[in-house]
Amino acid sequence: MDKRESMWEYYLRKGMSRRSFLKGCVALTSIMGLSTDMVSKVVEAAEKKPLPVVVWIHGHECTGCDESFIRSGAPLASDLVLNEIALEYDHLLSAACGAPFEAHLEETIQKYKGQYILAVEGAVCTKDNGVYCMSGGHTFTHLLKHAASNALAIIAYGSCAAYGGIQAAKPNPTGSSGIGSFVGRSPIINVPGCPPIPEVMTGVIMHLALFNKVPSLDHDGRPKQFYGNRIHDTCYRRPFFDAGMFAEHFDDAGAKAGWCLYKLGCRGPETYNSCGNLRWFQGMSYPIQSGAPCIGCSSAHFWDEDPLTARMPDYGPFGNVDKIGAVAAAVTAVGVMAHGAMSIVQKNQRDKIEAKKHGEQVNK
Amino acid sequence: MKEVTRKIYYLFSPWLRIFHWIMVVCILTLFVTGLLITNPWFIFAVDPTYSGMMVDNIRNIHFLAAYIFSASFILRIYGFIVNPGDRLFSHVWKGYFYRNVVDVMLHYMFLKHEHASYLRNPLARCSYTFLYVLVFIEMLTGFAIYYMTNINGIGGILFGWVIPLLGGEYMAHLIHHYVAWGILLFAFGHVYMVIRAEFMEGESEVSSMFAGSKILAHEPRDAGHLDGTLK
Repeated sequence: MDKRESMWEYYLRKGMSRRSFLKGCVALTSIMGLSTDMVSKVVEAAEKKPLPVVVWIHGHECTGCDESFIRSGAPLASDLVLNEIALEYDHLLSAACGAPFEAHLEETIQKYKGQYILAVEGAVCTKDNGVYCMSGGHTFTHLLKHAASNALAIIAYGSCAAYGGIQAAKPNPTGSSGIGSFVGRSPIINVPGCPPIPEVMTGVIMHLALFNKVPSLDHDGRPKQFYGNRIHDTCYRRPFFDAGMFAEHFDDAGAKAGWCLYKLGCRGPETYNSCGNLRWFQGMSYPIQSGAPCIGCSSAHFWDEDPLTARMPDYGPFGNVDKIGAVAAAVTAVGVMAHGAMSIVQKNQRDKIEAKKHGEQVNK
Repeated sequence: MKEVTRKIYYLFSPWLRIFHWIMVVCILTLFVTGLLITNPWFIFAVDPTYSGMMVDNIRNIHFLAAYIFSASFILRIYGFIVNPGDRLFSHVWKGYFYRNVVDVMLHYMFLKHEHASYLRNPLARCSYTFLYVLVFIEMLTGFAIYYMTNINGIGGILFGWVIPLLGGEYMAHLIHHYVAWGILLFAFGHVYMVIRAEFMEGESEVSSMFAGSKILAHEPRDAGHLDGTLK
């Protein structure tokens, strides 16, 4: 285990052909969202770079991200876990358990200090010293701090790790939040989504693994190649939006005909993800394609933005904003008219007094 | 017949007046198209091919009006530089400003019969500052939403920080919408107050925004602002 293999060495040891290796590299290049002229660089990295050590830990969450991850089609999650990264510790996927398993984690952290990639799923809960989420006899906050301080880079998988997720919903009894502010060090790559798209999860970790470099991130710490587009702008139903053709109810003719779900609360216009272009499960479908409006699961605070089936004007903390506005406008109009009427009365009084004064002056 | 002598006070440069009327048209356009984008309340077509791209066009009108409105601030700023009469900012650092505000407010609350005449009503000045704040919020949130399609561009760099600050893009939409209603309410009050001043107080508030000058029979308290005799 002292000399870490590269991907190519691994292929050689398994007796796989150069051709299948190159095919794998081409597939990797495209799923990482890179242009094809990067293939040679990917091949070079895969030949020379040792497989990256990955420690994968889980906090406050449902492990739904893993459910998504194991369905990755290109590369296959099994290929990734077995051939393309050296996954040393994973709460969910590891066969081992108990004290030896925890000891192995410690061993890995010490051995690959500053070299391993830390993948985190789930929020960190900080209330009451973090007792609401325990792992290996310690609080998750302890594990996260320890593992994060020695990591090369940190990947926050899922909206929980990125922003806090469902357990951070009001009133947030466990004090859950995203790991970013807790860990307090960079680089942290946010890969939000509930769950993220499988190919996005594998693509991000492969980018780190092959180039030893954090992919280009946006203002929110998300990789631009996967979170650079709005779902609305990549949606195949967009022409219906532009044409003004909307499903008004879930069971009307528009919904049946596949018209735009904007008026059913679709969060596509505010959500950044690859659902519209990558889609899910090898391009099979994505929520909007199956007739369900996007709930914006890769946006911060989406869990508190209910009802998810209503947009403005119906949606909002105070109710229908246009009704509120119209009532306020009506009240203002009435107030203005009342003020105007009283001003006229006042002016008449004033004129009378002035006329009287004027009359007195004339008489004198 | 009594003879009335009137004096001309040149106040508003053409730049400010053009800006003002561009603002009127743009705000009305932005408000109506904004409501339609938020809630396209009727089905515009039954087939995208022959739809005329109604919602798309409404959005484009909204964006165009937003750009024109933003660009027209160049006129406002130029007028501010070249013409002292355009400098409407409230003199909040002067003591007399607050005395004048109280004077005007007491009149508007019918506690006094009249208030002293001002070339630039101190309360109105406050409301214009308030309007600029609202417009500024609309620009920030609006352009932040708009430019997020290309975060690498200049617009994305200039406005990209707004969305995380508000805690999400949907919050930006909400604020944008509420503030739009706030601007409409301002417009109601503004139109009423200037008409009232024009026809009941003899203050040429409406006519000066066309002609640039106020022609007054009385001497306004702040007339010295224009020639610099009142500091």
